Parts: sequence; structure tokens; C-alpha cells
Amino acid sequence: MMRALIVDDEIHAREELEALLVETGDFIISGKCANALEAIQAIKKEKPDVLFLDVQMPVINGFELLSMIDEKLMPNVFFVTAYDEYALKAFEENTLDYLLKPVEKSSLAKTVWKLKRMLNGGEKPVYAGADIKKIPCVLFSKIKLINVFEVEYVRSNEAGVYVICQGGEFFTDLTLKVLEDRTDLIRCHKQFLVNIDRIDEIIFRENMLAEIKTKSGHRVPVSRRHLKILRERLNFRERKT
Amino acid sequence: MELLFRLIQAMSVFLVIAYLYCKSPWFKPLTTDSLRARDKIYLYFFFSAVSIMGTYLGIPIQDAIANTRAIGPVLAGIIGGPILGTAVGFTGGLHRYSLGGFTAFSCGLSTTVEGTIGGLVHLYLRRTNRTDLVFNPKVAFITTFFAEMVQVAIILLVCRPYEDALAVVKVIAMPMILSSSVGTALFVSIGHDQKNVYERVAAISSAKAFKIAGRTLNFLGRGINQETAVDLARIIHEETGVGAVAITDREKVMAFIGHGSDHHQPGGPIVSPLTKTAIAENKVIFADGERERYICPLSNVCPLNSVLVVPLHIDNDVIGTIKLYEPRNKQFLNMNKTLGEGITNLLSNQLLLSRYERQKNLLIQTELKLLQAQINPHFLFNSLNTIISITRNNAARARELLTHLSNFFRKNLKRGNDLSTLEEELDEVNSYLQIEKARFDDRLVIQMDIDPPLLKLRVPTFTLQPLIENAIKHGISNMLEQGTAKIHAYRDDSLAFIEIEDNAGSFRENSTGDGLGIKIVDRRIKSLFGNEYGTTIPCVPNKMTRLTIKIPLEVHKL
Repeated sequence: MMRALIVDDEIHAREELEALLVETGDFIISGKCANALEAIQAIKKEKPDVLFLDVQMPVINGFELLSMIDEKLMPNVFFVTAYDEYALKAFEENTLDYLLKPVEKSSLAKTVWKLKRMLNGGEKPVYAGADIKKIPCVLFSKIKLINVFEVEYVRSNEAGVYVICQGGEFFTDLTLKVLEDRTDLIRCHKQFLVNIDRIDEIIFRENMLAEIKTKSGHRVPVSRRHLKILRERLNFRERKT
Repeated sequence: MELLFRLIQAMSVFLVIAYLYCKSPWFKPLTTDSLRARDKIYLYFFFSAVSIMGTYLGIPIQDAIANTRAIGPVLAGIIGGPILGTAVGFTGGLHRYSLGGFTAFSCGLSTTVEGTIGGLVHLYLRRTNRTDLVFNPKVAFITTFFAEMVQVAIILLVCRPYEDALAVVKVIAMPMILSSSVGTALFVSIGHDQKNVYERVAAISSAKAFKIAGRTLNFLGRGINQETAVDLARIIHEETGVGAVAITDREKVMAFIGHGSDHHQPGGPIVSPLTKTAIAENKVIFADGERERYICPLSNVCPLNSVLVVPLHIDNDVIGTIKLYEPRNKQFLNMNKTLGEGITNLLSNQLLLSRYERQKNLLIQTELKLLQAQINPHFLFNSLNTIISITRNNAARARELLTHLSNFFRKNLKRGNDLSTLEEELDEVNSYLQIEKARFDDRLVIQMDIDPPLLKLRVPTFTLQPLIENAIKHGISNMLEQGTAKIHAYRDDSLAFIEIEDNAGSFRENSTGDGLGIKIVDRRIKSLFGNEYGTTIPCVPNKMTRLTIKIPLEVHKL
């Protein structure tokens, strides 16, 4: 049995797909999500084998969601769309799998066959994710999108990942790894990412340690391991400018 | 006394010259306010000749010459300004100097000065915006009088021996001053009359042209067809008074009014080689009846003898001709020739304009078709998907939604009329909203507040649906929170307002795609009701977008 997660902003679309998947007898539905944020949380929690992903969704669409999923947790993804010329083009260009709504049983059968082969092959699915321009953060019951260029730094601890910008500190479901890979933020510490454009000064300490002062006066630690990389990045940038 | 008569005699010669000159085409530029350089050169030669002739026609007295040389330079100055006046004066003066005599130098100098004086008067008139006085005989008289006095003064000052100069002046001064001044004044008076003639002719033809234009422009919006061609020919015939008027398209005669209409039958093919040339080469053909005659190819008793053929064109395509004829016993007036060409050009422009108007309407129609065709597949497949899902556990609800879907599509297909009532529009919108409500469930809330009498309000067909679709597709469907769409129709004075408001606040000017529907709606309202009506779209980002349609309560255009 394959564990499937359904992501679609329309309730009837979710229910219909659920019914169809259950009918095949090959799936256990591990969750249904109405938007990308619910999906990111559910993926972390449920670690599904396959994701059925709608393209047009509020705030964060299917493609954007794909780039926000941590590689380690990346399930096999099947896009589901009613009709969207641009999406279809993107599917073809990036050899992404997709189903058309309303979903026909015959195409779903092919999907099952393909999925089984992929899962048996044991290969980790890799999708070329686009860059993340805005980081979705949770603010009470609302979602706040923070532009990457506004971010001062990002820190993580046991409680989760926090994005710090001039407006304050916001919790995000994205992992540090995803943010490091898909944005211009660079790693300066095991638990910190920093926006190189927001660095005001770097203060060197003993033991090859350092501390970054950001433009708004926040202090971000730099570990020994990352100092070298940071230096290279900065020198490189200096020479460039 | 005898001297005065002799001078008047000389002056008369000038008046004949003046008369001939004013009748010549070279005079025409003088009736306008600004002279081109070429005109000034003509003037220079003409008035220099006048001045030199003044010297030759003069009467030698005591080694001096009593003359009317001043007329040329003074007039050149008044008409053409100080440079021209001085140049003519200098030329006349140089000539006089070359003839010798003890007043040679003083006369040469004074003639130049007289030209300058004329020029200064011209400058003064121009500065004080009194250029209408250039052709005023009084001004010419006074200027010449003064200029001649100056001449006398110069002769007395410069000529030596003084006694001889004084003696000469005593004899010639009065006759010269008088005859030159009168001569200039009469010269100007002739010019003044001729100028009036030109202006009157111009006024008559403009009046006629305006009258014809006024009478024709109204119905030409429909383009030229058999019916309008007859009306048009009749109007031109009545207003110009020419012998006959014909209008053709590229192949046949569409209308013929006037002499010879017994054998020039409308509907017949074009037989005149002149007309064929005019059409083929897109040029005006004129057979004046003397050098070139119009020979009727249809009948040898046809009274028509001269013809003007002017091509009617749209852009550069000749679509036909307008022909003006005169019979053998009547001369083809130049005025009618100009008028004929002018009217045809005006009509050509009018036709171009009406074609442009038609194309613009066509474009709006096409855009509307496009908008209807835009019922996007995305909406259709999502709706079907929703209904399929609902079938599983609520067949009645699914049936209901399918009925709405078919109603929506039927309304979309059956759109022949330009205008619909608000009620019809709302019916379509309701079907659409029922389906969207099923799709988005509790994420979409609809509020309607329609002032009942407005249900009969006529609006351009397919106004409401694209706007509401816009609010949902580009607004509410992108919201994580609950979205509310409000439709509010109310009256204010003689105006009706329809508001479509959503709480997404995501409208962006110039955003691609979604603006098109709104733009088309706006343009259709403006083209139906006028530019003061249409849509406005205040938007508070992330709070609300409120699209307001303003239309008149009284629909005059149906």
C-alpha cells in the first residue's frame, strides 16, 4: 500500500480524488490539505510516498510548494490540474507527471503502475525546484509572506525555524536546508542562515570564531567551519564589485 | 502747371501697369499676410522696374529730372518691409545716379531713403498689428508725401551750388510731391480692390464648401451606396450650380443629376476614358472645354462639353469618382473646379473616418466574441469535477448544479443583442455563482443588494459576468481566508451604479490578462453611452477591490 497525500484547495476535488484512489485498493490516504502550508506540515509529519498536488492554489501554488519541500522528505509528485496551458507546458518541459481533472480511471491506473515501478526502484525522486522568492511564515492563524531580500537572518532550534526581518521574528515550516538550497541566504552556522546583503560588520573572535552584526543590529554567530566559506563569498563579492 | 500735367501723364502709365500687375498671378501672394522669399524677389524686380521707369518718364528740368521715381521704393517698403524698400530704393537711386547731373547723388541717396521710410511704415503697422492698413490709400499717400518732402530736404542739403538746387526745387517740388503721392495712393487703391475681389470669391467658395459639407456629412457615415450617391449628387448639383453632377464607383455610374440625364443613366458602366484614367491613376482630370473637350461617348447631341473628374479615395484606394460637368454654352468656373476638388477630398476623409469607426466597432464586437469564448476551460473542467464528486452522495444537488451549468452556457451562446436587462445579466451571473459556490464551498460568500426597479435597467450584454468572474478568479480564489463578493446596484439621480466588491484587494492596474475583460466592458459602455460613463476600480491592497459601473438611467441609444 502506498501512502498518499492529497493537496487541493477545492473540497470536492479532494474528496473525489480520495474516492478514486481508495477504489484502486493501492493507496492509504495519509492526509488531505487545502493549501500549501498545510501540505508542508503534513509532509513533515506523515512522510507520504506520493503527493497529488493541485497547481492553482491560493498564495502558494503547486510549483512553489514543490520547491519548498525538503529533499529528504520528497515524495513522488503527481500534479493534478483541470486545465492550465502554462502548467501543461511546464509539466512537459520538466517531465513532471500529471493527471487531468476530472480524473479518469484509466489514467489513474497508469499512474498506479508507474508509481509502483518508481517505488520498487527505490530511487529518491528529485525535482528541479525553482528559487523561493517569498518565505511563507505563520502568524497566528494568518500566513505572512516575507520577501527573501527583507530577511536579516534565519535561525533554527528544537522548536523550529524562525525568520528574522525588521518586522520581527516569524515561524516558518520550511527547513534550514530548503532555505539554504533555494534562496540566496547563506549558511554561517549549523543553526543560522544570513542574508549577505544585510551584513553590517563581521567581528572576529578568538578560536577562529566570529560574529555578524546585521544592519538592524542583530548579532548572528559564525562557526569555524562556515567562516572560511563566508570569507570566500565576501571576498569574491568584493572583487566582483 | 504743365509740369504737373506731364507728371500726371507719367503716373497714368503706372496705373495701367498697376492694374495689369494686380490682375496677374504674381499679385496673389500679396493678399496673404506673410511673404515668402521668392515673392519678395519678384516684388524687388517689379518695383525696381517701376522706379527706373519713373526716372525715364520724368521731365528734365535745369539739369535735374522731375519724376515719379519714388512710387516704386515707397510701395516696396510699405508692402515688403524696410529691407525690400531700401533695396528697391537703392536700385532706383543707383540708376538715377548713373544718369548724372548735379542732383544725381542727392537723388540717388534720397530714393534709397524713401524706400527705407516706406519700410519703416510697414514695420510700424506690423508692430501695432495694423497690417490691414498696408493696402490703405491714405497711408500710402501720407507716406509718399512725407518721403518726397524728405527728398526735397536732402536735395537742398546735399546739392551744391545751393542756389541752383533751390531753383530746381522751387519748380519741381510741388508737382513731384503731389503726383507721386497720388500715384502711390491710386496704385494701392487698385491693389486694395483686387484683394477684395479675391477675398469675396474665397468667402463665397468657403461658404458653399461649408454648406455642401454640412449637408453631406450627416448621411455619409453610412458610406457611399446607390441611395446616398443620388443624394450627394443632388446636393453638389444644387450648391455649385454646374450643368451636371455624376458619382461613380470603380465600374459603374451610381448617380447622375442635371443636363444629359436622359442618356447618362445611373447603373450604366463607366465609358468615359477621362474617368477611367482618373480611377486608374488616382488623379484629378480636368477637360476645360477649350483646350481639351469632353466628348460624350454615349450621345452626339449631349450638351456637356467640359468636365472635372475627381477620384474619391479611402487611404490610397480609389473607390470611385465625383464628376462635375458644364454644357457647351457655359464656361467651367475655376471656383467650381476648386470647390469640386475640395469637396471630394473632404468626402474622402469622411469616408475614411466612417470606415475607421466601423472597424472600431468591429473590433469591439470581436473582442466581445473573444471574451465569450474565454469561458475558460479551467472553469469548465473544475465545475465538472466538482459535480462528479457531488454525484457520489447528493444526486439532487448534482442535478441542480448541472442545470445551472447548462443555463450559464446557454446564456453565453445566445447573445445576439447589444443590450440586456440587468435581470437577464443577473440570471446568468447567478448560475455562474452557484457553481463557484459549490467549488469553493464556505470560502466564498455572496451578498446581493439590487434596487428592484433597476432589474429593468439596460446594460451592454455580457457586462456583469466577466467582472464577477474576475473578482473570483483573480481575487477570492487566491485567498486563504473567507472571500466575500458583494453585488450592489443602486440609483443616484439620473445615474445607475453597479458595484462589484471583493475583499481580496488584489487588483493591479496593467496586470496581464485579467484587465482585458474590464477594459472591454468599459469601452463598450463608453461607446454606447458616452465617455462620462464606464468603470472605476478603487483598490485597497489586501483589503478590497471595488469595481463600479456608472451608466445613465435613461437609455437613449437603442
